[in-house]
Amino acid sequence: MAGEPTTEAAVADVLRKLAVVFADFEQRLEATPLIRKLTRGRFELADYHAFLINLRQQVKDGALWMSRAASNIGEDHLELRSTLMQHAVTEHRDFRLLEQDFVASGGALADILSARKNVGSEALSAWMFHEASKPDPFGLLGAMWIIEGLGSIKARPWGLKVRERLGLPDEALRFLLYHGDNDVAHMEEFRDMLAMVLPDEAVAERIVTTAKVTARLYALQIEEIAA
Amino acid sequence: MSESGPRLRDVYITGFGAHLPGPPVGNDRMEDHLGRVHGRGSVVGRRALRWNGIASRHYALSPDGAVLDSNAGMTAKAVSAALDDAGLGLADIQHLATATTQGDFLVPGHAAAVQAELGAGPLELASYQSVCASSLMAAKGAWLQVRAGEAEVAVAAAGEFSSRWFRPAFYEGTALVDGKGRLATEADFLRFTLSDGAGAVVMEPRPRDPGLSLKVDWIDLTSLAGRFDPCMWAGSTRADRAAMDSAWSHAGPLAAHAAGAVALLQDFELLKIVIRAWIGVWLEKVDSGRIFPDQVDHLLCHYSARSLREEIVGLLQNTAAMIPEEKWFTTLPETGNIGSASIWVMLEAFMRSGRPKPGDRVLLIVPESGRAMIGFMMLEVV
Repeated sequence: MAGEPTTEAAVADVLRKLAVVFADFEQRLEATPLIRKLTRGRFELADYHAFLINLRQQVKDGALWMSRAASNIGEDHLELRSTLMQHAVTEHRDFRLLEQDFVASGGALADILSARKNVGSEALSAWMFHEASKPDPFGLLGAMWIIEGLGSIKARPWGLKVRERLGLPDEALRFLLYHGDNDVAHMEEFRDMLAMVLPDEAVAERIVTTAKVTARLYALQIEEIAA
Repeated sequence: MSESGPRLRDVYITGFGAHLPGPPVGNDRMEDHLGRVHGRGSVVGRRALRWNGIASRHYALSPDGAVLDSNAGMTAKAVSAALDDAGLGLADIQHLATATTQGDFLVPGHAAAVQAELGAGPLELASYQSVCASSLMAAKGAWLQVRAGEAEVAVAAAGEFSSRWFRPAFYEGTALVDGKGRLATEADFLRFTLSDGAGAVVMEPRPRDPGLSLKVDWIDLTSLAGRFDPCMWAGSTRADRAAMDSAWSHAGPLAAHAAGAVALLQDFELLKIVIRAWIGVWLEKVDSGRIFPDQVDHLLCHYSARSLREEIVGLLQNTAAMIPEEKWFTTLPETGNIGSASIWVMLEAFMRSGRPKPGDRVLLIVPESGRAMIGFMMLEVV
């Protein structure tokens, strides 16, 4: 047998496993009641409001667990620490967009601010902070693949469908529409991050496992949304 | 695993047949050939053709709408050609497995119609009905028949007569045409995608000698119907297709036709998601070691590499799962997309192309949008 795989081969291997996890995740999402309503033309304004309310918790926590993860990355991986910190800075105000979309589509600010996490959001949030609190929490790259993949692949098509169905103006859909950014650039950046921690068999396994758990809990969060 | 009786046998494809009706019809003439809905030009046609890369195709209809052949008739011609190629005759078939999206009749099955058109004596039949991947369902059935020793000669055949569905009368006066006489995209796109023809392969427990055969290594099919609404369908409207009680046969034929439920339809937004699901199954095959992309010498698929979007190609390259385009063999630009028959029409042309060499590994991939399915067949040239 050959010795240590090259970084390139190890990255390709993990990416392939992550793509399989994402495909399964996307199919689970398609089968949730909320997304079924959207794709079957039964989606109402109340569903959109419930969607925004329930996404907000997770989006708000996102930058926080990422910051915590960054603070737990040791000095052997400063480059990855920098990248995560930059990500956290870029995203830590995104939940405000959801609040603005909620108000622009006729919701009352107090309603989205006072909403509780649903069962899935509770589980997802607890899991993310738990993982982020470990030393060198590289497994969270798998969680980023799932959550950022959702942003780059699913958000914009969902936003367009909501717009078509409910006839809302773009300023009520900024969170979903604005996330549909350059997928190819995303992939390049993600590969670079993987290359900072691979090859390492245990890390590779942890990244894939973390992606699987995150995907299941995220799908649970969407499944729990009911207007 | 326990085994009883004789051991499973190796199975070889020993004959290849294809039938394409009429002369090739180029892109400049196809719309007039099918007939324009309310005399209007299509809004999406050019875009569809650019995407699928098809330059010509065959129709079993003449430009005046006259029917030149039946689905069963075309399929029977492909079966005869395949038997001929294998050096066998009608009397040698013991098991006939047919695939199609829609037979000529609603009832009974396509295989019976093909047998009748062939004029073949008593034999065992199996009719497989789905969309493109029905080809590999029939192939798997035929393969297992020979493998298990139930048949010495089995034929897997597939035929499509899609153009009948594309004549203006299928749309005019229905809810698929708007007040300005424009045909709905979900109906129009397929008119520029699908066409007619048939293909067949003969399977036996030994390779032919002399000549090249293909040893069947394995056939895998994965359906994801539990997770998706219909993506390509006929029998319900776009809005109601997730509910089985919206079926045309519940409403009755006249009401269903008026509602636009008696037409072949495709949801293109869902198709983008289904393509990612196919890629997911493919990556899983690679990841589990079922397929080693760098050991595949020839890839046959009735989707073109160029119709895959940049991010999909990027994903395949980044995951070491891309089979380089020079290994793809296709007749799609010349023969069009013939649904379930495509893969056999391509395989027949491949065997005549001078490309296959003993020892080469040939992978057939048959994605089906219908309700999200994908099939794989691994072959070795012997």
